[in-house]
Amino acid sequence: MPLFLKERKNLTILIALIFFHFLLISMQVPLGEKASLFEKTVFSVFSPLRHGIVSFFKGIGKVWTNYFYLRNVKSQNKKMEEEIFFLRQENNLLRNAIQRFQSERELQERLLEMHENILSAQVIGLDTSSYYKTVIINRGTLDGIKKNMVVLDKNGNLVGRIIEPISLKEARVQLVTDDASGIGVFSQKKSVPGILTGDGEGQCLLKYVLATTRPDEISEGEDVITSGYDRIYPPGIKVGRIVSITSDASLHKHIIVDPYFDFRYLDQVAVIMKSPTEIFKD
Amino acid sequence: MRDFIKVAIGILIAFLFYTIFSRVSPSVLLLFNILSLVVIYFAVEKGEVFGSCLGAACGLIHDYFSFGVYGVGGLAKTATGYLAGYLSRKIDIGPPLRNFFFLVVLIIFELILWALLYFFIVPESINTGGGLIFIQPLSTAFLGSVVFFFMRKLTAKSKY
Repeated sequence: MPLFLKERKNLTILIALIFFHFLLISMQVPLGEKASLFEKTVFSVFSPLRHGIVSFFKGIGKVWTNYFYLRNVKSQNKKMEEEIFFLRQENNLLRNAIQRFQSERELQERLLEMHENILSAQVIGLDTSSYYKTVIINRGTLDGIKKNMVVLDKNGNLVGRIIEPISLKEARVQLVTDDASGIGVFSQKKSVPGILTGDGEGQCLLKYVLATTRPDEISEGEDVITSGYDRIYPPGIKVGRIVSITSDASLHKHIIVDPYFDFRYLDQVAVIMKSPTEIFKD
Repeated sequence: MRDFIKVAIGILIAFLFYTIFSRVSPSVLLLFNILSLVVIYFAVEKGEVFGSCLGAACGLIHDYFSFGVYGVGGLAKTATGYLAGYLSRKIDIGPPLRNFFFLVVLIIFELILWALLYFFIVPESINTGGGLIFIQPLSTAFLGSVVFFFMRKLTAKSKY
């Protein structure tokens, strides 16, 4: 084939590929809508592979931990026994305190309900373009995962919520530090309401707190908890701590919140297995 | 058939690299654009059409890892794959230094194209990783030059 004809053919193929990509991009706009079939398909194809690779390397890590790294096990064991002892004491004290407001039966029911409705999961992937937006966990529709289910860290602090796409054994979690997230929250002391959103860089911003709010109503060091007004996140979950409050010429204060979940140790998470409809129906 | 196996191995190595480092140290992914190296290597070996098709496939993988809009990474890598194949026919990129600059230019081209598309479609700031993304062309080109040098030696040895 003459060279110019070959080059023309190559250019035609390039143009066809570029056109295909523009078509693919336009299928996904407007952004923020439900995940397209293409996105769900690609997610379902690649996520199991990622899941498998992470599990393989974790397996190798376990072999090392279980069979080779046995030094200091005895002293670690002793430390843990002491910790369990103090945790039991704390647990008893708290139970006694709660029992003043709830009967034993109500308390047992609540604890059992909580235990049955929590599913543990592992984080198997991060968003490589922006670490603080989303993560992937190793639970999916086969485990009963649905959109908008709430995700907590191992200490019960808010991490985020399940968003699409969700495949059979993997799901995406939108973190509270994502600038596209929005959570209805209160400050703990005087219940000053606001909307918490991420700044995309690992921290959160508490928005729509009027500039006229007094310092005794909201201050640095205060906890921020979910209010339940967004009808997605159950009320009373700890989200973060206020680290900075400043005012400028705008109507609202500029409040920075440090989330309680630690991104560096976000390995194990818990999913509340009740969808918002079920939670707020109760 | 052998070529497809080589491509599959290259893609698998890149996939492994992305999966492992996205958990261990995400910053490394900003430093080394392994998927682009795979695209450029096979574009130089097999020509611009192969390069652009492989770019489309690797771009989809890149979009999957960045949880971004599918097609943005694909478009950038498709164009890069085509350009790599086309330029490698016009200039001799055998010498190591020339190979290094060739890679630097292509990675910069891909980065700019990807950033422009990203800004246009998703009007958000890109994670620069504290400036690491600006070193990506140099670090990726350095890694690529070393790897390509040994790959070519290996290929030459296996021929003889």
